Amino acid sequence: MTLLLDIVTTAAILFIVSAGLLAIFGVLEIVNFAHGAWLTVGAYCAVVAGGLGLNPWLALPMAFVTGAVLGGVTERLIVRPLYARPLDAILATWGLGIVIGQLITLWFGRDVHFTENLLSGTIHVLGTSYSLYRIFALAAAVVIGLGFAFLLEGTRLGLSARAIIMNESLARALGLDTTRIRLVTFMIGTGLTALAGVLLTPLTSVDPTMGVAWLIGSFMLVMVAGSSFGALAVACLVFGGAQVLVSTFISPILGGITVAVLSALVLRISSKGFARV
Amino acid sequence: MSDVLAASPPRSAKVRRRAAFLGVLALCALALVVFGPMFLDRFSINVLTRSMIYAILAITVDLLWGFAGILTFGQAAFFGVGAYATAMLLTHVGSSPTLIGVALVLAILVPVMLGLIVGWLSFYYGSTPIYATVISLVFPIVVTQLIYSGGTLTGSSSGLVGYFGLPLGLEGFFRLSGICLVIVAVGALVFVRSDGGRILTAIRDNETRCAYLGLNTQRIKILLTTVLAGVAGLAGFLYANASGVVAPENTGFVFGTELVVWTALGGRGTVLGPVLGTIGIDYLSASLSGELPFLWQLVIGALFVVMIIVLPNGLAALVTRLTRRGRRHAPASAGPELVAEAPVHHKKKIEGPLLSIDRLEKSYGSQKVLEDITLDVAPGELVSLVGPNGAGKTTMMRCLTDGKETSGGVIRIAGQNIAGLVPNQIVALGVGRKFQVASVFESLTVAECLRMARAALDAPSFVTASDRLGLPSAAIEILQLTGLDRLLSTEVSLLSHGQKQSLELAMVVALEPRMILLDEPTAGLTKAERTTIGTILKKLTNELGFAAILVEHDLDFVRDISSRIVVLHQGRLVLDGSVDEVVNSEIVRTIYSGGDHV
Repeated sequence: MTLLLDIVTTAAILFIVSAGLLAIFGVLEIVNFAHGAWLTVGAYCAVVAGGLGLNPWLALPMAFVTGAVLGGVTERLIVRPLYARPLDAILATWGLGIVIGQLITLWFGRDVHFTENLLSGTIHVLGTSYSLYRIFALAAAVVIGLGFAFLLEGTRLGLSARAIIMNESLARALGLDTTRIRLVTFMIGTGLTALAGVLLTPLTSVDPTMGVAWLIGSFMLVMVAGSSFGALAVACLVFGGAQVLVSTFISPILGGITVAVLSALVLRISSKGFARV
Repeated sequence: MSDVLAASPPRSAKVRRRAAFLGVLALCALALVVFGPMFLDRFSINVLTRSMIYAILAITVDLLWGFAGILTFGQAAFFGVGAYATAMLLTHVGSSPTLIGVALVLAILVPVMLGLIVGWLSFYYGSTPIYATVISLVFPIVVTQLIYSGGTLTGSSSGLVGYFGLPLGLEGFFRLSGICLVIVAVGALVFVRSDGGRILTAIRDNETRCAYLGLNTQRIKILLTTVLAGVAGLAGFLYANASGVVAPENTGFVFGTELVVWTALGGRGTVLGPVLGTIGIDYLSASLSGELPFLWQLVIGALFVVMIIVLPNGLAALVTRLTRRGRRHAPASAGPELVAEAPVHHKKKIEGPLLSIDRLEKSYGSQKVLEDITLDVAPGELVSLVGPNGAGKTTMMRCLTDGKETSGGVIRIAGQNIAGLVPNQIVALGVGRKFQVASVFESLTVAECLRMARAALDAPSFVTASDRLGLPSAAIEILQLTGLDRLLSTEVSLLSHGQKQSLELAMVVALEPRMILLDEPTAGLTKAERTTIGTILKKLTNELGFAAILVEHDLDFVRDISSRIVVLHQGRLVLDGSVDEVVNSEIVRTIYSGGDHV
């Protein structure tokens, strides 16, 4: 039973962490390699909130705003000139990640920080007692997923974004302000990623390089998912499940590479990955 | 069997001068590394030894990324595997001169085998550049995790230390690493300037064109990955000996990204730039790490971002651009000498039609784009394919050159069913395709483009740049008619639209095909250029017995040169007949009602 809960909640955490990257990749076709840095920025928002003695939940909106504002600046200065050069965009955003990491180090030091728990204790689910926070993460993932579904299907911005995904030049010819839509999408993506960084704080320690560990996993999941949140959810469940099983029954170290290896294999067999789901 | 067609001043003098320059440069570098230790303090010798080993890796990254366009983070892992192979053998088996020799062999062989696997995973028909980058990320992560889980065998997170390698001492390792670096750098410089080495740039510029010149680009990239994995393994062997310690960080993808950063800052695609960039940055990092470690990283990161956005080819490219500007007024060198060669390909006569299409069908989901197309084409025929936009003309051309495109029916070329064949295999059957938008190699010269077209028939040298260029006489004639024979050493990006179209046609003819497919070869050309192309096409089919299929909108042009016209309408073949039959037919008038279209 615990295993099942582990699988579902691990998948939920993977989904939360990758959602922001997917939003950017899906619409802009740019791989934001500064993704790890945005997670770190979000986590440090929680540290700052704790330092100021604020309610830890306030870190969530704080991180979203910080991430979105910084993301807006990034899109304007770094990403916009590179839309035609996707491989260079990977490199430039990776460089940005180095810069952010070093700035955080200069400001906060290299040490590991701990933050106040958002939720502690356990809860009785399906006959076992289980970490309340992990259950909360599951709920958060569902909220984020539904939120995106609403954003894409139910709003004007979502309609425009889908138009850009399908046919960018046609969308522009129809008078959509694609430049602004790209900017807003990027800001939502980075804001969401920073928010995910806050949600990670109860699960890991906070240090300047914490984001890198999450970068590769979410990058691989997004590659497999293409531009679909449904596919991302499926990929998180399948690969997250595999990761839990490998970690439990074989070795936690090998579990750490399960997602990356399986994603690479899936892409080798079918270059669209799970995008058709 | 070869006669000189165009006289040009001897190029060998220039080649010799360049070789001499390279030789002097190499000797200076060797002198530096041999006598360097006398003038350097211990700290500098130590750090520079490491920097020079890293520079060897940067060269491999540059060949992959700067020249062939494959962005890779995986070289760190091959390096790490080489280093670990050495350290593990010397730690667990023991140390003797023989075992050190075995370690050297293993340090190269194991990465080579892994390179083959990584290459096979990364490059297959239809793989994307991003996918190769993905694999190059996953690979170092897997290697690092395996090392972490290796227990005492790999030393886990603390690595291996305390084994006995080559007994060379500090200065000896400095010299050994330096000599290896000079050898690898000279080898790389000679290779990238050779005719064979230009293939890498051609693949980066336009991989599709390479495939349609009959080159198996996937195999070339796998081979490149494999060989460079071996070079990285050699660097790993040096590192394991010189530093006396190996750690998981040496294999990780973060180190892989650092290599890319150094290469980018030094200037990708220049070989020497990445070497200087790596040595400079690594040495400065080590010197400054005591005082401002994070600030230094910050500066490097920021510089890297700015560089990628503003100056994607690095500092070294800026230098070459400046020197080139100074030289602009000097007359361009003549380029290689054109030599007519007897056909080497497809000498055998074939029985029956050259191309036979039987009930070809192509659909996207339920949407049928082509349906029930049956058509034969014999040698010497010039068949024009006409029809309104969206009739399926370009789709049909694609089906003829890519055996994975069709959804039904059979296409035979020279009697062989092409189902499932990829473009370079179909080119080998004797098909040349000219695209609608001129598909050439922008950063190669005219002569180099033509040599690419011959590369599949006549394997180029990986060491020298030939001063002869052997082409079929038909191709030479195209060059002469269009004046391209005087522009052989001009870079293609400087050519006009019409010149690029003619160059592409010459490249296709240089393949010695039996059949050429041309997609709107006259679009955007002047009247005079059109007439020239028409003359060439008529000559190729009437006199030389090529078959040609032409997609064209200009009905006057079609009427002048075709021997047969086929009309496509809404994915079906509605008419197939002589020029007069088709031009005067009722169906054509109905389809093109108003006729202003044509």
